[in-house]
Amino acid sequence: MTQDSTIDIERLIETFPREGVSLDSDSITYRPLPAREADTLPSGEVLRPTLAERYPFEPFRHQADALDALDRDENVTVATSTSSGKTDIYALQIARNLLDSGVLAPDGSRTGDAGATALCIYPTKALAGDQRESLADRYDEMGLDVRVARYDGDTPQSERREIRERADVILTNPMGVSTYLHDHDRWSRFYTGLDLVVLDESHTHTGVQGMHVAWILRRLRRVVSHWGGDPQYVLTSATIGNPEEHSEELLDEPVTVVDEDGSPRGPRDLLLWNPPPSGSGEERGTFAADDPPSAPGVDGGISSRVPASVDAPRLWNHLTYHGVGSLLFCPSRKLTEIAVRRAAEHRSEHPGYYRATNGPFPSLEAYNAGMGRITRQKRESSFKDGSLAGLATTSALELGIDIGDLDGVVLLGYPGQRQQFWQRIGRAGRGGSRSVGVLVADHRTLDQYVVDNPEYLLDTDVEDAVVDTDNDAVFAQHLLCAADEIALDRADIGRFASEERLRAGVEMWRRAGRLTGYLDAVVHYAGARRPQTEVSIYGTGGDEYELRLADDVDEAAVGDFDAENVARNRAFRDYHEGAVRLFDGQQFEVTAIHDDRPQPVVELEPVDREYYTRTLSDVNVVDAESERSREVNGFTLHFGTGTVLVHHHSYDQVYVESNEPKERMLPTARPPIRMETQLCWVEVSEEIERGLLEKYREYGTETGVDAERAGTPQIGYVAGLHAAEHAMIKTAPLELLVDQGDLGGLSTLVLDSHYASPEHDELGATAERSLDAVEAVIADRAESSTGTASGWFIYDGVEGGIGFARAIYEEFETLAAHARDQLRNCECGRPDGCPACTYSENCGNDNAPLLRESAIDVFEHLIGDRTRADLDLADADESERRPALFYA
Amino acid sequence: MAGDSSLDLLSVPADAGHRLSRTAIEDALAYFDPDAVCLPGEFDPELYGGVRTVATVPVIAPRAGTDHVGHHGRAREGEVVDTAAVDPTTMTHELVSVRESSILAETDTVLPNGEDAGEDLPTVLVVPDLAVEHDPTTLTARLPHLDALAEIQNALSGPLTVLAGSQPANYHHPWDTGSGGPVTVHGMGGGADGSRLTLLSCTPSGAVAGESVDADSFGLRAIHGVGAKTEASLHRQGITTRSGLAETPVATLADLPGVGRDSAERMHAHAEVIETGDPLRLTNESLPALRNGRPPICLDIETDGLSPTVVWQFGVYDPETDEYTAFIEDETPSDPGRNVRQFCDHLFASHAERTILTWNGDGFDYPVIERFVRQHAPKYVEAWQDLWKHDLYSWGVRDGNALLPGRTNKLDDVSRALGYGGGETGLTGAQTAAAYQRFMRAPDDPAAEPDWTRHERYCEDDCRALWHVWQAIEDAERRDPSDSATDSGGQQTGLTDF
Repeated sequence: MTQDSTIDIERLIETFPREGVSLDSDSITYRPLPAREADTLPSGEVLRPTLAERYPFEPFRHQADALDALDRDENVTVATSTSSGKTDIYALQIARNLLDSGVLAPDGSRTGDAGATALCIYPTKALAGDQRESLADRYDEMGLDVRVARYDGDTPQSERREIRERADVILTNPMGVSTYLHDHDRWSRFYTGLDLVVLDESHTHTGVQGMHVAWILRRLRRVVSHWGGDPQYVLTSATIGNPEEHSEELLDEPVTVVDEDGSPRGPRDLLLWNPPPSGSGEERGTFAADDPPSAPGVDGGISSRVPASVDAPRLWNHLTYHGVGSLLFCPSRKLTEIAVRRAAEHRSEHPGYYRATNGPFPSLEAYNAGMGRITRQKRESSFKDGSLAGLATTSALELGIDIGDLDGVVLLGYPGQRQQFWQRIGRAGRGGSRSVGVLVADHRTLDQYVVDNPEYLLDTDVEDAVVDTDNDAVFAQHLLCAADEIALDRADIGRFASEERLRAGVEMWRRAGRLTGYLDAVVHYAGARRPQTEVSIYGTGGDEYELRLADDVDEAAVGDFDAENVARNRAFRDYHEGAVRLFDGQQFEVTAIHDDRPQPVVELEPVDREYYTRTLSDVNVVDAESERSREVNGFTLHFGTGTVLVHHHSYDQVYVESNEPKERMLPTARPPIRMETQLCWVEVSEEIERGLLEKYREYGTETGVDAERAGTPQIGYVAGLHAAEHAMIKTAPLELLVDQGDLGGLSTLVLDSHYASPEHDELGATAERSLDAVEAVIADRAESSTGTASGWFIYDGVEGGIGFARAIYEEFETLAAHARDQLRNCECGRPDGCPACTYSENCGNDNAPLLRESAIDVFEHLIGDRTRADLDLADADESERRPALFYA
Repeated sequence: MAGDSSLDLLSVPADAGHRLSRTAIEDALAYFDPDAVCLPGEFDPELYGGVRTVATVPVIAPRAGTDHVGHHGRAREGEVVDTAAVDPTTMTHELVSVRESSILAETDTVLPNGEDAGEDLPTVLVVPDLAVEHDPTTLTARLPHLDALAEIQNALSGPLTVLAGSQPANYHHPWDTGSGGPVTVHGMGGGADGSRLTLLSCTPSGAVAGESVDADSFGLRAIHGVGAKTEASLHRQGITTRSGLAETPVATLADLPGVGRDSAERMHAHAEVIETGDPLRLTNESLPALRNGRPPICLDIETDGLSPTVVWQFGVYDPETDEYTAFIEDETPSDPGRNVRQFCDHLFASHAERTILTWNGDGFDYPVIERFVRQHAPKYVEAWQDLWKHDLYSWGVRDGNALLPGRTNKLDDVSRALGYGGGETGLTGAQTAAAYQRFMRAPDDPAAEPDWTRHERYCEDDCRALWHVWQAIEDAERRDPSDSATDSGGQQTGLTDF
């Protein structure tokens, strides 16, 4: 879509309006990636004549491999890059099935209604809609009369019956599949003939979501089998470290992996770009002002660089000005809108470099899921047809929504996972043309690590996608659904789940009154409402807030305002009263919130402010109750329940121009969000604690905190606890199949104060106004208690708990050993560690204070590799006042 | 109710209590006619006082006051009084209520003073805060204080029924104990189910049959369109009963705040319908067309649960010949095909040209039958699809073509309110399914065999009730529209004219 299709990376960099910038600069890492030739076969070798003569391309090697495997009755996972023709694989397989079953005659016309059907499952409705178009177009092109239809929440009731009864291919999403299973009688024709199930972008099904999808697929298999269907499976996935294992866990069926990519790729110029130090004449901005919220009052450590949120839009402007149509990937919706503004500012600041010579400047717009379907669709097509030169987007465009060709991708900050990095970079350069991918590092720790150690990003493997079906809480939900769909009986033993699990689950629900009957005969669902409605695929519940214009706003003046609903946590964070947000480049301020209505509402008014707002949040754990505990080498491990509180408590107003704060810590008037969940925690043995407090008394700024706080004598020790907590969460996936994002933690010097106790009121219940009160109470308790222990919590990030914390409790020693290894073997040489060993992207305290050495000590004592004799326990002052320090 | 041998206890959970006005309470008491009322929820003085002023039977509120345990007994005539006042020789039940479950451990306090009078008297034990705890992360469920309950049960010579105040009304489970037999726990309607009143009929053998009705089905709120606010407005106007509402002119009703003309019409009509027991046609829609003008074949089925693995009874009633035919799978429940085929053979041989009628067939019977026909009698699939099939519940209630009397939309409520006086009240669908499930588990065990004759009678009863409802609606059609007691003057054929 760009006018100038040759990219000269050297010239591009050198024309950038900044002194001393070239491919050789220290702040830039340049890595050219060679082109890859297409590896194709003649279509006659891969497809039968009817299809070969209709298919407009020569199949790539991996497409041929996949189709061959399908021919051998195998299930296939295709794990190749974006736009390598994965859709065509299943489009062709569907065509083959329809021809074989006689629904399609060799001339492409229809001979009947009954026959091979296919179900295609996409992670989002938007993707399903997009792919419906692609599939329909492909079949049109091939002259095959295949009926392709979407079926989901957006499908009008009046059309549904016809689709079920006549469509060949139905496209939907996992929640749709789950919901419609309740009425599977209506789908009998479709399920009886089901020959193919496609799971698109399967790598996205991980963690809690992945668990639900795995069970939904098992329920689907059961129902389809009841009707006589026996489908094959095709999974399409991005490149991940473990495609076979992941697919088999999702499907509970064997798969053949096809991952040798035969699609061509043009040469690619990769740049890792580190913005210049601030105060270098360019900027006086202190830290990345519009980052996702971090803890209050914590500076981002050594923050002397221009933020990515300022520099990346400049680069983006530069590329698009020079004809490189580009996406700018931003970590937040707000940033997509700010980026567009900043790109425009860059142009106007350097009129010498950016002249509007032939008409107006190339058009740049924002794109994110908060915008409403109509706006998004308009922008997708504008970008595709070239009227838009650039889109600033969130992860909404990471997946395969078709926006045509693009030549460049700029990442505003490192997305946190290598897999995501490559997925996004891979969006550029379709076909054989040259493309550019730029990572603009933020001042933050992960990003700085990547630019300092490019081989971590560019030369080592991508992450594994993890999904685990051992989780009994999720199984129990789906067990009810399965019983409702088709009564459970012996045939399900070893098929739907193991005998032990089925019996335990059935017995539990029988006792609770939601199932009746016996597995040896038959088990029915006996509850009041559809169990499918209780399944929440993301594991989060909560109300959604509607965004709307306030009553007295002149709607005509505002124009199109279609914004989608937001979940409660986001509503509290981004749409508190006084928040200033951009929609379509226009500023709005939140003027009122109505929480108590059946449909909660946020009201907005258009404004023109010189600042934007940034929210600050607190996290804490309270009312912890131990249910089980055990001793390990003097440490006490606990497992139980508690309340996790998240409080988006205040916000800063920050000048748009300079990123300097205008006003700080304004109240959001939002209450804390409570989550009852399961946690495990460890109490450090008293002696060890005394010894370590003493040993690390002198440590201060090494832990990453500023000089002011470095004076606290306990900082060194607590930094060790904090690092230990991080390290355990980071290494948990080595042992357990869990995503780091599903866990949370809190390290604390005053463990007891976080406990529930009969003498104290429930803290969680009283945290109605703010976490300050809670923190004050904790500090208070710490003050008045004698000999409180220290340690850290790890909790399940899902309401009600979901088994991770329990598993960590049970495997604690093993995990501690892994964590200790990770900390000890890391070559970063830094006292506070690095992204590989101690830093966590979910840290609520911006990764400070942390101290590797102290953490290693704690672990070694816990595992038993060190003993008390190794500590110098003399002279430790037992009566020392203990401040209430805790860090997430 | 007096005279039979069950202890009829009306459970009014806290949530239900909040929605009951005084007349609603009166209404509920008249409807259920209990031996005693029990309020298992947190003590609510308004509800307690309200029920006590209206009730002529004892009101037991275990969580009120400071007493840990309450002892009552039921005398043969149905009177429930303090144990001390009952003549032991005429007692039919012991009724014990504890304030909270922790008291159960004090067996001596809980058990009726002294021993029961040598008879194996059934004991009903009300535990207001007893709730089943389940933990999905470990796939376990437990009943707190099960050991204490087992001890209590072992000390009694008669059967024990435990009523758990925090469990839904249809909850029923025998909990295995280490010693002696299982402890059977029944729910009283608390928890998520909280807005329903439940009459628990505790039989001498220890079994409990429950009938639940939503609180909004009593008093004025039973009327369409009357919620809390409108009820309050009506009360302020001095209108507190349904008959009062029916006697108030529509124009007066329409003047009330928040009540428009349409709502007033509908309210008035519904009140009349409930009071008179006559259905009212709301639209000009005629009843669904009958093939060849012949009366419909009334059909009802029984299955082993809501996701059926077997349709074990097909009931077919032909009003033309007044003949009832049943197809029952009473031998091999694991082979559902036989019964389906026999039903199909009969249906198509005799009634292929007729119209089939059900109550809620669209929601249950028809999809289920179609599924079983596909799987076990596929030759008949097309013929089944070609049959004219109607669902009177869909036509009347879902499509809003008629206002029917009856507190709920269940067939037996509606038919009874329309004057159908058929056989004795049947079991609930859930109970019937449970009985059959026991049979399925041990089809050769005579102890597990249901009383087939009885079940056949219930099913026949349902079919006849359906026919009665159809006729009542038909008659309503032929009623002269100007008989409607409104003062709007002029003719009307249905409310949609306005």
